[in-house]
Amino acid sequence: MSPAKHITPQNKRRSNSGPSQDGYLNIGADRIAGEPQCQRKWRRGPAPREDYVKTFLKIAMLSTALLSVGSVQAQETVVWWDFLSGGDGVRMKALIEQFNTEHAGEIEIQPTTLEWGTPFYTKVQTSAAIGEGPDVMTYHLSRVPLGVESGALAPISAEDLAGVDLGPDTFAPANWEAGQIEGQQYAVPFDIHSLILYYNKDKLAEAGLLGEDGLPTGLDGADNFMAALEKLRGGSEYALSLQTSGDGTPWRVFYSLFGQQDGVFLAEDGTFFPEESIPKAVAAVETMASWVEGGLAPALTEYEGSVALFTSGAAALHLNGVWEVPTMADLSEKGELGFEWGAIAVPTFFDHPATWADSHGFAIPNNVGKEVTPEKKAAVLEVISWMNKNSLAWANAGHIPAYTPVRESEEFKTMQPNATYSILADTAVFDPRSTLAGVASPVYDAVANYISPAMNGELEPQDAIEEMKADLQDQAE
Amino acid sequence: MIRNHRGEVAIAYLFILPFVLTYGVLFLWPTLQMVYLSFTDAPLIGPGEWIGFENYVEMFDDRRFWTSVKNTAYFVALTVIPNTLIGLAIAMMVSRLKGWQQSLILAMFFLPYILPVSVVYRIWNWMFNLQFGIMQYPLTWVFGKPTPVFRTQWMFMPAVAFVTIWWTCGFNILLFLSGLRSISTDIYEAAALDNASRWTIFRRITWPLIWPVTALVLTIQLILQLKIFDQVYLFVQGGRPDPSMVLVQYIYSQAFQKNQGGYAAAIAVALFVIVIVFSVLQFQLLRARGEK
Repeated sequence: MSPAKHITPQNKRRSNSGPSQDGYLNIGADRIAGEPQCQRKWRRGPAPREDYVKTFLKIAMLSTALLSVGSVQAQETVVWWDFLSGGDGVRMKALIEQFNTEHAGEIEIQPTTLEWGTPFYTKVQTSAAIGEGPDVMTYHLSRVPLGVESGALAPISAEDLAGVDLGPDTFAPANWEAGQIEGQQYAVPFDIHSLILYYNKDKLAEAGLLGEDGLPTGLDGADNFMAALEKLRGGSEYALSLQTSGDGTPWRVFYSLFGQQDGVFLAEDGTFFPEESIPKAVAAVETMASWVEGGLAPALTEYEGSVALFTSGAAALHLNGVWEVPTMADLSEKGELGFEWGAIAVPTFFDHPATWADSHGFAIPNNVGKEVTPEKKAAVLEVISWMNKNSLAWANAGHIPAYTPVRESEEFKTMQPNATYSILADTAVFDPRSTLAGVASPVYDAVANYISPAMNGELEPQDAIEEMKADLQDQAE
Repeated sequence: MIRNHRGEVAIAYLFILPFVLTYGVLFLWPTLQMVYLSFTDAPLIGPGEWIGFENYVEMFDDRRFWTSVKNTAYFVALTVIPNTLIGLAIAMMVSRLKGWQQSLILAMFFLPYILPVSVVYRIWNWMFNLQFGIMQYPLTWVFGKPTPVFRTQWMFMPAVAFVTIWWTCGFNILLFLSGLRSISTDIYEAAALDNASRWTIFRRITWPLIWPVTALVLTIQLILQLKIFDQVYLFVQGGRPDPSMVLVQYIYSQAFQKNQGGYAAAIAVALFVIVIVFSVLQFQLLRARGEK
């Protein structure tokens, strides 16, 4: 009988808690004690006795190890769901692998990547309702109000978090509170991600838009930005590429420009776009529409297309989230980009710097009817805490770490291009706190229905904002 | 022979029991549950409070509900009759072929029908692609410039209807072909002897005799197209969902995006009623015409 077959039933029996520790060790023992022995004997030829002695010793050592491990707790399995599939997904997988290696025999993360947006959040909600959700998952902090209202999230107690050194002191206050509803923590921040301006260094140099420090210059102010776009027009198909259809980038750009004028999206009394904020919202939309109208930015372009326009060199500037940094970095490293790229914080078009921002965080689904053992809870908390403490690797994906000790570390402060745009952590305007807002929410839909068409000249900016206001107000009731 | 009637009845019941049970558990019970749900304020998952007719009152006031009713009706108008007529026309052409030629051509027309909707979406999104889609050649010729078909409001529904007809026509052709084959050749021979023109043969022989199949195809199409969801949902991705919202899509968005299970159920009941009323009406109407 082959040794592998011998192990199987043992593993099966323990399948509740995942592959068992001794199962793994058995496989290792089999490999060390079996194969190499034959190989060595074959290669070396003489002195087989010595080899047998060594092998015997190894077996003895491993059996001892096996016995001692057998008495210890079985390995905890943490089922993990995320929605990270792009360049940052690759980095997350590396982090998970590192975690599993460091916690071999104690905790094992079993990751699954699902589709971003509505599919992910629908699946989380329905699976949690029947107790089939994961043990831990990534979650947008902007979505926490909706998540809590729909009963998809389990509360995380302050003591539990303090037990793994996480608390209000280790995160920026606004970031930490974004994971709370009425003072109760439901999600732990992991990063801050925002909108940045990617640029093609060669094209900006050609147009004379690079300063002495090698960074773009003369982009601040709506009129200056327009003038810069005009200068860039000759050098490429489009001066600026950005997603101009559906939700996503249009929302992020709109909310940044709106925030730069201190616009109020949702007032305390539940009014969307209170009277004095309407002109500000209209101004933001008009600015966005002016890029498309003049042919400086592509009309009706979807997300992927907008990225491709920049990476193929057809656009000199590109407005998108920090999460595309790995895409550029990887292409550049492979020598497939064909130009030098950089990224800076979104220019100031209006009164003061401000940029839309959201956070990825970790949350525990409210798995109905499924009791969480203390061991499982400890393992999940360890995952959340370890990920935050090791989030420097995540910063490689363009994000800004939420965990203050990492964010303030020397390594992060010198990391490029993050350091160039890290100012946006201080000027971030987070999504409105409402059950109608957040990723894949009615607000996102409203952007696709009103703001994007206005960008493409299908709706007048004034009408677009008024209709959007009426629509959201209607849905809020 | 003495028969045990009671025993026979019992055995008969025993035999239909599996079906009745399956039907009751899998069809009847969920439908009743849906109706019940529509009178509550339930979220997507879990029970809710009984709120009477509130959902229905809200529905009649809901601008988006009426938009989706209108869009669904528009889509039905764009697909049901054209799809049937095109199916009949192609079936009549195919029926003139013989042997392997007929099989080959039939297979070619039927091929799209076996594709899953996601593949159909990929194919046509690619065909109409603004930058490199092959359909942009005729579109540029007509409109003078490349046209984003699925991002242009007035073109959206007709384009989706066109793709739907391309996709589902094969099945109608098959139904019509079997209908055409069941018409006796004697009748055609007699007509030929009387020197009837081709048009007369179609009007006086083929059309009336194929009518039962036409009525069936029309009814199947009507029910199918009232439940339109997949194509609209896929093609609108990354665009404006509201102006082209159809009923099932609205149910989906209320239930899964807005967590309003009770309200979504109320819309589902409305769609259920619409489907029943229209299909029964249509079938009766068509049958009456056929018997005339």
